[in-house]
Amino acid sequence: MISRRSLETATALLTGAFGAAVVVSSRDNGIGWSAAGVDAGTFPFIVGLIILGSSVFNLATGWPGNDYPVLRQNELKRLARLFVPAAIFVGAIPLTGMVVAAAGYVFAALIWHRKDAPVFAGVAAAGTAAALYLIFELAFQVSLPRGVLGTALGF
Amino acid sequence: MENLEALLHGFTIALSGNHIFLMLIGVLLGILVGVLPGLGAPNGVSLLLPLTFGMQPVSAIILLSCMYWGALFGGSVTSILFNIPGEPSSVATTFDGYPMARDGRPTTALATAFGSAAFGALAGVVLITLSASWVAKVALAFGPPEYFAVYFLAFASFVGMGGSPPIKTLVSLAIGFALAAVGIDTVSGSVRLTFGIDELVKGVSFVVAVMGLFGIGELLIAVEDEFHVKAISSRVEWREVIRTLVQLPRYGWVLLRSAAIGCWMGITPGGPTAASFMSYGIAKRLSSRHANFGKGEPEGIIAPETADHAAGTSALLPMLSLGIPGSATAAVMMGGLMIWGLNPGPMLFVEQKDFVWGLIASMYLGNVVAVILVLLTVPVFAALMRVPFFIIAPLIVIICTVGAYSVSNSYLDVVLMTGFGVLGYLFKKLHYPLAPLVLAIVIGDKAEDAFRQSMLMSRGSLGIFFGNALVTTLVLLGTALLVLPVIWQSFRKMLLRSPTGSRRP
Repeated sequence: MISRRSLETATALLTGAFGAAVVVSSRDNGIGWSAAGVDAGTFPFIVGLIILGSSVFNLATGWPGNDYPVLRQNELKRLARLFVPAAIFVGAIPLTGMVVAAAGYVFAALIWHRKDAPVFAGVAAAGTAAALYLIFELAFQVSLPRGVLGTALGF
Repeated sequence: MENLEALLHGFTIALSGNHIFLMLIGVLLGILVGVLPGLGAPNGVSLLLPLTFGMQPVSAIILLSCMYWGALFGGSVTSILFNIPGEPSSVATTFDGYPMARDGRPTTALATAFGSAAFGALAGVVLITLSASWVAKVALAFGPPEYFAVYFLAFASFVGMGGSPPIKTLVSLAIGFALAAVGIDTVSGSVRLTFGIDELVKGVSFVVAVMGLFGIGELLIAVEDEFHVKAISSRVEWREVIRTLVQLPRYGWVLLRSAAIGCWMGITPGGPTAASFMSYGIAKRLSSRHANFGKGEPEGIIAPETADHAAGTSALLPMLSLGIPGSATAAVMMGGLMIWGLNPGPMLFVEQKDFVWGLIASMYLGNVVAVILVLLTVPVFAALMRVPFFIIAPLIVIICTVGAYSVSNSYLDVVLMTGFGVLGYLFKKLHYPLAPLVLAIVIGDKAEDAFRQSMLMSRGSLGIFFGNALVTTLVLLGTALLVLPVIWQSFRKMLLRSPTGSRRP
């Protein structure tokens, strides 16, 4: 179970960290006024400060009274069931290439929910691969990533 | 008169066979993304964007804008028939649309929604037709300070009127600005905010952000609640459609008021979502039948639908005439304009007359096409909703991934998109608005340039923003929008507190 409070805190910390990174990084570009006008780092610096300040505000206001749950066990499970395979799919692209990763992803997702229908899952996976290849590689000339596997096989 | 002539000329451009075909395709694809959870107008338009690069700009914008109209209509279909809003802006339509459909009047609910939506869209287009070139003419006199003031006004109205917690809106907006600054600075040529990743020199594309925030994020939100698609008959009875449409003028006052709210929220970037909620709330408060709201009251469908479409349409007015998009989808279209080599803003009305008036004429036609097509295809798309979510979800993930990748053939973009997906989920869950982030990515650079050019003109004095009446008014108006909600809130708190004991802990 995850409470509203922890979710608010995590998000505020995330945005705050980004704000801090922007502030630090923008100092390399110079802040303030120079011969060429406003320095390149000024705008990001101010924006970073706004993010940082607002995140601190959200951190403070997100705490009191927000200890009720917003994500229960079964909701978390459903989220993970969507996100983890999607993340594995994204992670697999540099290895197997886009087409193979997508086909594998569709196959795995369908088999998971319907163990009794491997043929259906296989057809759907092959269809996805074919559609990706036809639409992007052939029709619109977008070269999809081949991955280590594709290069090894000589594509 | 001049506008009418230009509009007629626009019709001669929009009414070619090729363009009518593009309208049909655009509207159908739009309804599709509107119906599917996880895909919405901003994603759909971004996905199509790379495919338009070879087209004439006017054909491309007709395709994209018709997709937008289709998505707006498609979102209402699922709201009414399944109680699942396909688009954030059609959430308010579920309040009365679904109860009416459930009580055995789905055709009446759909026809009421589409009729009032068409009226809202018409109000938006008429507004654009009448005022766009006038606004552009005024804007031609704008210098960098005036532009910065207008940008400031736009951002301030997001914070003040967007309906989300102001500080959360500010975070979203500022993150967008920071992301817009990533890469090569257009003024000095120096590289900014790459955090040691060389590939980031090319910047962060708004398409990548949209795919993650609206696509993956929306999907994660949708998967949380178990989908219980309850089948309501999706057969459309044409006689009932006609009867409902004929009776619609009885609600003239609601229609007019909602259209006005929608147009206002579309021009000042409050967006369609805020507009539909605001319109619903006002209709409920003012209606003589307000006890009936939430139980299938026609006014409860008319108000949000009219405002939603009026806002969606009129969001293109500031985009065309000032270069400031009024909604997330308008921001994506504006990004497209820049990729096609057009410069959104007042000069468009001088240099690209065919483009502007072709687009405006296509908005009249596109909405007619959309109403007809959506009525014809309701059963088809309703059937689509019965495909289980576990099949649709991986497909949408793959579509978003390929969409993000194809922007610049970069794997880094895919990783970024996944990150944006998580951020989008967290933001949605905690009521941070997403539209300001996208808007700031698209026009952040321009706002910054305007600011820096103004500073160069004034040699670093902020006084230039109070240099003449126009710019002063704009700046003061923006500041008022920024500050008023805060004052209003604390005022209300004081009012609530003053009668002691009236509030229980």
